[in-house]
Amino acid sequence: MKLHRNCEGNHPDVLSALSRRDFMHIGMIGTLGLSLPNMLRLKALEMPKVESFNAMADSVIHIYLPGGMAQHESWDPKPFASPDYRGPYTPIKTSIPGEYVGEKFVNIAKIMNKLTVVRSMTHGEAAHERGTHNMFTGYRPSPAIKFPSYGSVISHEQGSRNNLPPYVVVPSQSIPEQGTGYMSSAFGPFALGSDPADKGFAVRDLLAPKDVTTQRFERRRSMLAAVDEHFRATEKSDAIGAMDSFQQAAYGLVSSAKAREAFDLSKESDKLRDEYGRNTAGQRFLLARRLVEAGVRMVSVTFGGWDHHSNIKGAFDGQAPQFDQAFARLITDLQDRGMLKRTLVLVSSEFGRTPKINGTNGRDHWPRVFSVAMAGGGVKEGYIHGASDALGGEPDRDAVGPEDLAKTMYRVLGINAEKRIMSEGGRPIDIVNGGRVMTDWLA
Amino acid sequence: MSFRRLPLLAFLAAGLTSAVSAAPVAFDEVRAIFEGKCLECHNPDKTKGKLLMTTREAFLKGGESGHALIGVAAEQSELVKRLVLPKDHDDIMPPKGGPLPAAEIDVIRRWVAEGAAWPAGVVLAAKDKAKEEAKAELARKLTTLEKLEIFPESVTLETKRDFHRIVVFATFKDATTRDVTAYADLKVADDKVAAFDGYSVHAVADAGKTEVVASLGGRTARIPVAVKEGHKDRAVSFRQDVMPVFLRANCNSGGCHGAARGKDGFRLSLFGMDPDGDYVRLTRELIGRRINLAIPEESTLVEKAIGAVPHSGNKLYDADSQYNKTILEWIANGAKDDAPGVAKVTGIEVFPKQIVLEGKDATQQITVRATYSDGTDRDVTKLALFMSNNDPVAKVDKDGVVRSGDRGAAFMLARFDVFSVTAQAIVIPKGLVYERPKVAEVNYIDKAVNERLHRLRIVPSETCTDEEFVRRVYIDVIGLYPKPAELSAFLEDKRPDKRKQLVETLLQRKEFTELWVMKWAELLQIRSGINAGNNAPPFYKNALLYYNWLADEIGKNRPINQIVVDLLSANGGTVSVPAVNYYQSELDRLKLSENVAQVFMGMRIQCAQCHNHPFDRWTMNDYYGFNAFFAQIGRKNTDDPQEVIVFNSKGGESQHFLTKKNVKPKFLGGEEPDLKPGDDRRRVMAEWMASPRNPYFARNIANLVWAHFLGVGVVDPVDDVRVSNPPSNPELLDELAAKLTEYNYDVRRLVRDITASAAYQRSSKTNASNADDKLNFARAQVRRVRAEVLLDAISQITETPNKFQGLPLGARAVQIADGAVSNYFLTTFGRSKRESVASTEVKTDPNLSQALHLMNGDAVNDRIRRGQVVEKMIAAGKKDDEIVTELFLRVFGRQPRDAERKSVAAAVAADPASRQIVLEDAFWALMNSKEFYFNH
Repeated sequence: MKLHRNCEGNHPDVLSALSRRDFMHIGMIGTLGLSLPNMLRLKALEMPKVESFNAMADSVIHIYLPGGMAQHESWDPKPFASPDYRGPYTPIKTSIPGEYVGEKFVNIAKIMNKLTVVRSMTHGEAAHERGTHNMFTGYRPSPAIKFPSYGSVISHEQGSRNNLPPYVVVPSQSIPEQGTGYMSSAFGPFALGSDPADKGFAVRDLLAPKDVTTQRFERRRSMLAAVDEHFRATEKSDAIGAMDSFQQAAYGLVSSAKAREAFDLSKESDKLRDEYGRNTAGQRFLLARRLVEAGVRMVSVTFGGWDHHSNIKGAFDGQAPQFDQAFARLITDLQDRGMLKRTLVLVSSEFGRTPKINGTNGRDHWPRVFSVAMAGGGVKEGYIHGASDALGGEPDRDAVGPEDLAKTMYRVLGINAEKRIMSEGGRPIDIVNGGRVMTDWLA
Repeated sequence: MSFRRLPLLAFLAAGLTSAVSAAPVAFDEVRAIFEGKCLECHNPDKTKGKLLMTTREAFLKGGESGHALIGVAAEQSELVKRLVLPKDHDDIMPPKGGPLPAAEIDVIRRWVAEGAAWPAGVVLAAKDKAKEEAKAELARKLTTLEKLEIFPESVTLETKRDFHRIVVFATFKDATTRDVTAYADLKVADDKVAAFDGYSVHAVADAGKTEVVASLGGRTARIPVAVKEGHKDRAVSFRQDVMPVFLRANCNSGGCHGAARGKDGFRLSLFGMDPDGDYVRLTRELIGRRINLAIPEESTLVEKAIGAVPHSGNKLYDADSQYNKTILEWIANGAKDDAPGVAKVTGIEVFPKQIVLEGKDATQQITVRATYSDGTDRDVTKLALFMSNNDPVAKVDKDGVVRSGDRGAAFMLARFDVFSVTAQAIVIPKGLVYERPKVAEVNYIDKAVNERLHRLRIVPSETCTDEEFVRRVYIDVIGLYPKPAELSAFLEDKRPDKRKQLVETLLQRKEFTELWVMKWAELLQIRSGINAGNNAPPFYKNALLYYNWLADEIGKNRPINQIVVDLLSANGGTVSVPAVNYYQSELDRLKLSENVAQVFMGMRIQCAQCHNHPFDRWTMNDYYGFNAFFAQIGRKNTDDPQEVIVFNSKGGESQHFLTKKNVKPKFLGGEEPDLKPGDDRRRVMAEWMASPRNPYFARNIANLVWAHFLGVGVVDPVDDVRVSNPPSNPELLDELAAKLTEYNYDVRRLVRDITASAAYQRSSKTNASNADDKLNFARAQVRRVRAEVLLDAISQITETPNKFQGLPLGARAVQIADGAVSNYFLTTFGRSKRESVASTEVKTDPNLSQALHLMNGDAVNDRIRRGQVVEKMIAAGKKDDEIVTELFLRVFGRQPRDAERKSVAAAVAADPASRQIVLEDAFWALMNSKEFYFNH
């Protein structure tokens, strides 16, 4: 039987099914440590127990480069291939002897000995949204079910810390795959709603309006408590309870200068902001660092557009230096602050690009082999996993799939991806189906 | 040798007492000891040490350690040997609470020595304390016995192999039921025709008729038993016997060998949908290894399943289980494929279908009977898969034993072959003091709801107040909050039927139509690709035309079935015939047919695209048969890039994913229509879809309407109708659907019935019995108001008009035609983007951004200032108290309470200089209250 394009058939077994209704109750708990009257329904969650892991990292910064960044120009150059494969650049040496990166990765070359680079990522999805799905969920897209993003699973499993939302997208949820899939939207990302690189950047609604002083805010709050009291006391529902908790969380954010400061880039020194780069990449990555520092568990940052079907040189010349500077500074900044050990930084893209330069001096979609880079959070320093072949067209050895990457990322956070979560329709679904924890990558 | 000597000493000690009583031992003495001390383990359910002590034959056969009796030499008998072992010996019997008192040992020893007489036909049964108590408890309950039944209602035994499990079922006066199989006096009237083996009846004679008779508590029930060819054997069949073992043992589940790539090198078709392929893979791959015809026991198929060799799926069943025997026998007979035309399963049935369990941990056996195309039937309880949809209320184990938990209702799903059926279990607390309350019964809705609540012993909440009603009905019927004047007009109305009159007025307002246009626009996915620029479809112009067409049709109060027929059979250009835009919302034919099933029938058939639905009736044949109606959609471009012409191309077929054969058009859950080549298949489908011939259509629309008003569907979510997600109140849904059909699909009339019902007019205040219930309409559900209605309310209350793309200033969010047009507020509060047909597109789940936006965002702060509501009231010379009252009426639709008045007054008093600001802060507080954005 030929495999159907949409169906791996890797459905989990269907025996320990629960009703969606139970799931909905449970679904509300967790994001912000809610306590609900129907907590007893939790006992309904009699999923098979899985082994628990110790966390190696507390948070993840997932830098996503939409469009599909070419492996040749970035993490996996082919200095010895003929020019129509090698591409427009001359690869440069890195701090790992014998390993090269693309010409524009000047700063990254220096910190290469802090990274784990996987040069043998592979999957079979050459369309943007399908590849993106793979890289945000660890699952191939399915017609029957929407899978939750890494961040939503982390929200579901670990909840919030320090009055901060557990999952933040920078700058906003531009990719549907960053969403909650089959889970309740209570596990969805908190979106900044504006770009850290903008002048006068401020997160929407985080601050009380200008004419509302602290004293006035307190007055509002106490009046709200007074007029809300009757309804709160007489009406019981999970949604009211959840909204109550979000309101408390909002108060927490608005009134905790510390929590709010996590979103305030102006608290960073001008010098450091310059070193990250006064541009989209620099300011987004810097904000991501501030957020994890304050207690956000998952920051999903997108940067640039890497769908370089034509004139790959011009496009790379424009974006790659920003990324190079910001990413390298992020890693050294995390290290300087002693945060690198407990923060996993992951750089990925939906796929790579064709080994051969095309007729318009670009490269086209190529999921057969591409690269992913990681740093900190329990992964090795200065490690290259796998390799592509001489032309950068196929994995040469140690091929790795999106499910392996996802499973390892969860492992680092202390989440066992073999655990099952109940979806709509009472179907229990593995956090990641199959896949391996790549112990080779772990320090 | 001390080990040998000790029992001897004990034996000698016992021997001393034996001399005292000389009379022969009566069997009843032995029976009392066996039943009290031994049968707890040596019974047919446990059979510890493989020794069964229920009948003489079984007992004499012995167990693992050989015969229990050897001649009359008591001290040689395993039975006595075990009794006299030292207390801490591993093998002593009974293992717990042993050894037996010397007198009892003596009785047994003497009984053995006297020849171990066991009167013919006497069957022993375990007697344990719990059971004795249960028996006593049952005896008390039996005084209220109402009905005694035997399931199944009749038994036909077709071969030597055939058997049927019997369940004796008691119904009491309080409507509770109980599984009394173990307590009833149960026998076959003529044991020369058929006989019992445990609780299963099997053939004895070759042919004949008899009865199974059960009596208990002075009542007797009997069912006919017919035996046909009871002496004939039948060969193990691959499809009928072997394949079901794979399903039952989960071999072919998606996580194991049913995965598309198989597991560990062995693949079976998912849930056994492809027996031909499975036969080939089993017998033609790894010849001699997977199936070893010479030594069946050494086939990996056997060894893996019984755990004799390492298996990633671990041990699945015992070597001596019926499952293994079936597989072994099939292999021993040559692992043959079935002859063509082997009987297929035509359906399954569960017994009993409705159970009402009292208290925690009550149990009930349910059995499953399958019928075959050759007219035979079989008991497949041991081959079916069981599943509960609500484990906390009632669980079901793999053998079909239901066990009660918390109060509530649950459905037990049994699956066999491609069929799924349910039995309903209701659990009520034990010893509940309950008297059926006198509850208002306005119409057929209340009849069905109240009956259900009575069965669940749930007392509904009281009727809501007029204040609550007017607010609720405004929000639900027209999507607006009542203005203070409208509020007081209703409150002052003295007519006894004023609630009905109010609904009548509201139904005539254009906002009622607009609300339903919006809801249908969501289902029909009316949206443009505006965010991607307007140079790619779907175009804004098309979305607008499509929306206007829909608004026009609904505005004319055209029955929904006619609109649906026009929509689904539309042909023409996307500009000139706007309804055809439906076919531009989804270009993938498979997805399109899934969408149609989901929107118009409430069914999700996606699963059946690749495999038979695991929890529902849909097979791949159903899927591709339905898909065939959409196989002949033709499209052509015109000079206008925004106009595509959709037409009947009269060519194209639906190909089955597995067999690659073309499947003929077949209505989903209906018949194959008689079609001539060139017929417009979509028209044929459309006319069936929106007609009484399709029972799901009216049910689905009725359920959609019901869910809008009650906050939860009778089937919920509304677009997930499946066997394993049954309606919480089937009678109610049937009634609603029947009425909608009778009303000629006029939604307005259904709304009238729903809003008039006591079920809709209940208060949201709970009582002890309904606090945990959400599915049976015992109280009003508190619901967050949906995004559009909430924004319109904010606009109305703060007197600040909205502006949306393509609409004049002051238009309402409900009126937005295009799903892609939105703003921060609407997106944050979960407006449907209309990107899919799923009911979950409309989100009312709370999130952090919503809380922040109401608190600090422009939706409340700016609008309070911009609308100058407080400022104008102050300018009009109103007093603080008047202003506060007016604000409460605007926002909450009620008068402020004293404490609330005082709290605002105190805040003004604390800062009299900024009176307006303090009052505006009070306004802010009201609009940040849950009472504002929840409908209750």
